[in-house]
Amino acid sequence: MPSMNEDDAASMTEQLENRLVDSIEDHEGVSRRSVLGGLALAGGSAITGIGAAQSGNESGGNATSGHDASFGTPGKYTEKNFDPHGYLREFNTGDSTNKRDAIFGKKDDLNAGVSEENGQTVREFNLIAVPQEIEIAPGVTFPSWTYNGQVPAPTLRVEEGDLIRINFTNAFADMAHTIHPHVQNLNPAMDGVPQNGPGAIKPGETFTYEWQARPAGTHLYHCHMLPLKAHIHRGMYGTIIIDPKPEKVRENPRDYIDYHGPITDEVREMAVERAKSRNMISHADYVPDGYDDIDEMVMMMNGFDTNFDADNEVYAANTRAFAYAPATTHKYEGEWEGGKTKHPIEIKKNNLQRVHVIQTLEYDFVNSFHTHSQFFDYYDAGTTLFPNRSTIDTVMMCQAQRGLFEIDYSDHQPGLYMFHGHQSEFAEQGWMSFFEVTE
Amino acid sequence: MTDTPKSDGGVARRQKQPFGLPRWVMGVVPIVLLVLLVGGFVMTTPLAGLQTGEPLPDVGISQTSLPNDHTIRLQVTNNAPEPITISQVRIDEANWGFSISGSDNTLAPRESATIDIPYNWMEGYDYDVGLIAADGTTFPVTIEAAQLTTGLTGQVVGTLAFVGFLIGVVPIALGMLWFPFMQSMSEKWLNAVLAFSAGVLGFLVFDAGFDVFESAGDVPSVFSGPMIAVLGIAGSWLVLQAIMDWRNDGEESRLSIAYSAGLAIGLHNLAEGLAIGTAFATGRSALGVFLIIGFMIHNVSEGPVVVAPLADGKRPALRHFVALGLLAGAPAILGGWIGSLSQSPLLSTLFLAIGIGALLQVVVDIVDMVRRSGSIRSAPNMLGFAIGLVFMYGTSLIAG
Repeated sequence: MPSMNEDDAASMTEQLENRLVDSIEDHEGVSRRSVLGGLALAGGSAITGIGAAQSGNESGGNATSGHDASFGTPGKYTEKNFDPHGYLREFNTGDSTNKRDAIFGKKDDLNAGVSEENGQTVREFNLIAVPQEIEIAPGVTFPSWTYNGQVPAPTLRVEEGDLIRINFTNAFADMAHTIHPHVQNLNPAMDGVPQNGPGAIKPGETFTYEWQARPAGTHLYHCHMLPLKAHIHRGMYGTIIIDPKPEKVRENPRDYIDYHGPITDEVREMAVERAKSRNMISHADYVPDGYDDIDEMVMMMNGFDTNFDADNEVYAANTRAFAYAPATTHKYEGEWEGGKTKHPIEIKKNNLQRVHVIQTLEYDFVNSFHTHSQFFDYYDAGTTLFPNRSTIDTVMMCQAQRGLFEIDYSDHQPGLYMFHGHQSEFAEQGWMSFFEVTE
Repeated sequence: MTDTPKSDGGVARRQKQPFGLPRWVMGVVPIVLLVLLVGGFVMTTPLAGLQTGEPLPDVGISQTSLPNDHTIRLQVTNNAPEPITISQVRIDEANWGFSISGSDNTLAPRESATIDIPYNWMEGYDYDVGLIAADGTTFPVTIEAAQLTTGLTGQVVGTLAFVGFLIGVVPIALGMLWFPFMQSMSEKWLNAVLAFSAGVLGFLVFDAGFDVFESAGDVPSVFSGPMIAVLGIAGSWLVLQAIMDWRNDGEESRLSIAYSAGLAIGLHNLAEGLAIGTAFATGRSALGVFLIIGFMIHNVSEGPVVVAPLADGKRPALRHFVALGLLAGAPAILGGWIGSLSQSPLLSTLFLAIGIGALLQVVVDIVDMVRRSGSIRSAPNMLGFAIGLVFMYGTSLIAG
């Protein structure tokens, strides 16, 4: 529900009370006092709710009022170096039509251009390894190792069959890094491991990686330097989305369908339509019927071991604990008051939600994704055009496992709908989020 | 007594100083040089090259309490030489809201604060509570078998006074009733009683000695708890010894030994009261009837200890007996109150240490007294000492 000002709510309550009193006053034996007294009893919990929420706000970040309200991380995020809300829907395609500079307020020339070479589209990116302190819970910073100063690293989005060219610079003073892609890479020198090709890219060095964009799907890239656990846990991971090419789907539909029966023309065309719907970020002209309002977002499930004892203290989707949760939830009707830096993901109920979920949690074996009051279709690794599992509300994912989630809230009432990792420990230490479904 | 003075009366032995400088100048010169040295060291920082990293953050959680069924309270101290910011709190691996006493979440070096966490804890459960600092460092503490912390209410004041009276004043008064019987004893057997007293006190030295170093472990590390224990023991022993020797003249010395024994036992009972008060305040009071009876039997031997030094001579005025009884017993009440109020490991350690020092001093005096009137190693004396130790051990089993 759109947030309502507390003062407005109070004055409206008063008006309603007065109207009720006026309408009843004419009846014999009913006093104004008794009506108001009854209202006070009935409304006691609501009034208490308002009072508690207000006192909670007045006392700043720390103090909490009711017991229910004390859950979560008190306080607000103050560092502006990474915004999970901006990151959520930021897709970099190599050209300059994306919103990256606007979102991050700084130009890092990540998108280095799109060109043609030997009949192949080349999408070029500049990635730079830099250390960066990132605020992962209100008031708690983490000494991250990053690509382009952010955790997760920038999302790269290309079309199947493209060449992905990464100009990688290691700007660390004292540590080597690599970039290892989870794609069908045909050249061992481009695998981004210390033992192959250029090996470890030393401080100050630059190397250009080139990867074939295949197969279509939601993939991962990360540093493969040793010790591996440290380089991944510190934040050197990002998403590569490879959109399926409709022509290739029409030619070889079996490559995209996890199904062994006959493929009719109908199924073939359905697959092509779905491929087009996946491809709208790069090709707005593809928009097929029935897919005209798809809201795509990226969530990397991650965590941080703040005291370096190989056990995470903070869990999140996209780095910041509770970043997509309401800052304060009232005790009545689930209304919430958003903080400036912690608030739900606002979605329109008639838009299909397509979420790219990537599991990059280190130090825990598995993570999971669970939606409240809702079921979704799941495409493992996003490599198929029809769901591998339909109508589930929880999926378990191992490290580096990723998938597409398609969620439809069109028949739900507007309001807050929670989603979170269904390991209680993860949820209660930050991996808990909300969609705010609006009309 | 000889005519030779023990002291030179503070007259300087030699006036002449090098270069004919006045004496005070030569006294001050090393201090001036030291100030110059330290100043120069600070100004020039010659060890800058050895600087490796920052000191580790260190927040000590000195006390946890559960003041009501929806609050967990922590007393914390910043032990490190750098300020530290407490950014988040978690309970059983879940983030939770909290409030810190004072203006903000940052603790200056040595600053202490109270952290209140609104949490509906359940009785008997264990809770892992952890602080997360701004740099991600964590400071954990475990609350075992959660129980309500009562604090110092009117009822607690009354109950602790009653308990303190029962285990402090009453048994000592009972024990003092042996005085007429002791007066009738031969010197040999009276010495054995004194040796028994020394055994009792010796047991208490070890008993409290183990406790004081356990308590010292809970003191925030910035205050060096074990050294507080050592300084407290040595300091109180030496100060009491100096006072005793200073006013050591004839018959009064027996009374003064009695008083110092009373004081020593009083300090010991103060520490005992502290422990009881803290147990009460932190909800760990299992002070059943049996325990109180155990303490009474245990402490009854402290009565003869106080009056034994007086048995071999004129009976002092009765008011001395009343004063001795109160001096030795009443601090148990006071300790109970202090303990339930402050719940401070620092105070407990300090009081325990002072008590031990006083006990040691009395043991030394009693041994002196016995030695002056015969052989210290006579069989009755050795037996008395051993019985004192064993008696206390036996009754301590009852008292838990």
